[in-house]
Amino acid sequence: MTLSQRTSDGAKLLLGVWMGGVVIAMFAIVPEYVGLGDAGRIIIMHVPTAWITTIAFLISAAASIRYLWRRRATDDAIAVAAAEVGFLFCALATITGAIFAQLVWGVFWNWDPRQTSILVLLLIYAAYFALRSAIDEPERRQRLAAAYNLFAAVTMPFLLFVVPRVADSTLHPTCAFVQGSRCAGVTLERDGARIKQLGDIIVALESLERRGDLAVARVEVRTPGLTEVVVLEPSYDLNAAAPADRPTFPGQQFMLAVKAVDLTRGTALVNIEAPGTGLLSNQRTLWTFMAANIGFLGLAIWLYRLRAGLILLEERIRLRGAPHELPA
Amino acid sequence: MSSSDSVRPPTEAAGWRHILDASLAVFIKEVRSEVRTRYALNAILLFAVSTIVAVSLGLGPIAPRRNPDLPLIQAALLWMAILFAAFTGLARTFIQEEDARTAAALRLATPALAVFLGKAWFNTLLLGLLTTVSATLFLVLLRVGVADLVQFGAVLALGSAGLVAATTLIAAIIARASARGALFAVLSFPLLTPLLVVAIRATALTIEGVTWAAIGPPLQILAAYAVALFTASLLLFEVVWEA
Repeated sequence: MTLSQRTSDGAKLLLGVWMGGVVIAMFAIVPEYVGLGDAGRIIIMHVPTAWITTIAFLISAAASIRYLWRRRATDDAIAVAAAEVGFLFCALATITGAIFAQLVWGVFWNWDPRQTSILVLLLIYAAYFALRSAIDEPERRQRLAAAYNLFAAVTMPFLLFVVPRVADSTLHPTCAFVQGSRCAGVTLERDGARIKQLGDIIVALESLERRGDLAVARVEVRTPGLTEVVVLEPSYDLNAAAPADRPTFPGQQFMLAVKAVDLTRGTALVNIEAPGTGLLSNQRTLWTFMAANIGFLGLAIWLYRLRAGLILLEERIRLRGAPHELPA
Repeated sequence: MSSSDSVRPPTEAAGWRHILDASLAVFIKEVRSEVRTRYALNAILLFAVSTIVAVSLGLGPIAPRRNPDLPLIQAALLWMAILFAAFTGLARTFIQEEDARTAAALRLATPALAVFLGKAWFNTLLLGLLTTVSATLFLVLLRVGVADLVQFGAVLALGSAGLVAATTLIAAIIARASARGALFAVLSFPLLTPLLVVAIRATALTIEGVTWAAIGPPLQILAAYAVALFTASLLLFEVVWEA
């Protein structure tokens, strides 16, 4: 047994033990996320798989550019292996995300902009693999696949940045998980634009009235998982100039808060808030999360090296057989 | 392509004029062969007509009723009809070159860029016809009252431009592969999703009737999509064509 083989075997063993540790820590060490309960634990898996997906696809696109530049089979092998790893992690991120969505938002799938873009990413790479399997001649397969990979990469900015901006809001972290985040919420007007959308939740202002120091808004809420309409009464403390009562959306763990209010004009700024803040400010969660990131990254690298090695081996076998074949 | 001088032109400006001339020649060739067979035209138009008639038959009773989501539903149905009709016909220009074994001759005779441009012009013409016919039928058969026809036309025009920009290169790719018909839709659809999302919403807005300021951003996205994919196609086409 050579030294490099022994190192790689050791690394594999370490990776296995490490991932086992992460899974145990995920359930035993990480405290319950206030308000989300055990559902919050899946974030330890969801976030690392999601960002590894992105990196894998960037590597795949870069390798395709390099292939078209130098026309070497190595670059094509890198592009395929990275795309395959990305596809696997993309599927994992989609599934873990859907499970979380069912537990927290009440639906597996609600066409949140980020769900849309991750599904399209899956479709693009499924198409990339379908294209590869439909071309027999290796050189042509490599060239056409690289061209498609780059062409698909051109549409990515539209998916990742443009389409989410067309939708009003998203339930993903920048909006819902962090209190006081960039997502500004929507302003409902009693005498004007009464009905608006927060993510996929339709909110309509019924009335806005003063009760002592509180401004109470009656808001009609329609959520995608719910058939009947529910009326919530979030309130705003006029003395403290801060949201007071934050009722939860029915069947979900998120709360509706009034962020600002203008009683004379009859307008209220409402937004979605996650219960409890600062998931990662908890040390035990933070370290488990970091360990999960390292573990998944190691897993991705191992899979990627395995696949790239296999594809190159296939290529070498093909080249060795080449002299016996008829020239093209 | 009478002399070798015209193939390797002395200056860049002359080179561009040469490519545009050649692309025009390719375009005329496409139109001529289409007029002879009318394959793509028949396939596309009949597909679009039958889809819209089917939709109209199905939706006939509910169309006049007041439904706040009706514009969005109608816009989605219109774009579905256009999309699937485009899938049936737009790949024809490249597939037919491979089937008739004329691709090699075209490769020798014409610069790659001119082939792409000529076929893109032809697909634009084809899709323009398709969109006009299906939109007209759609307005008549589904009794859609569009608030602003100019806005409606602008969204359809820019959306179709994006559709052509995305599918022409894909058509060139699948012409070299097996199982082409299925592959064309499989490869095109994911790339078209951002375009479709924006186009459907923008079309719904024009049916409802909004100001130009409100329809501006979606129009900009549609135009940016068309320009980005057209530019990427120009850069990548040679790789695909000579693979």
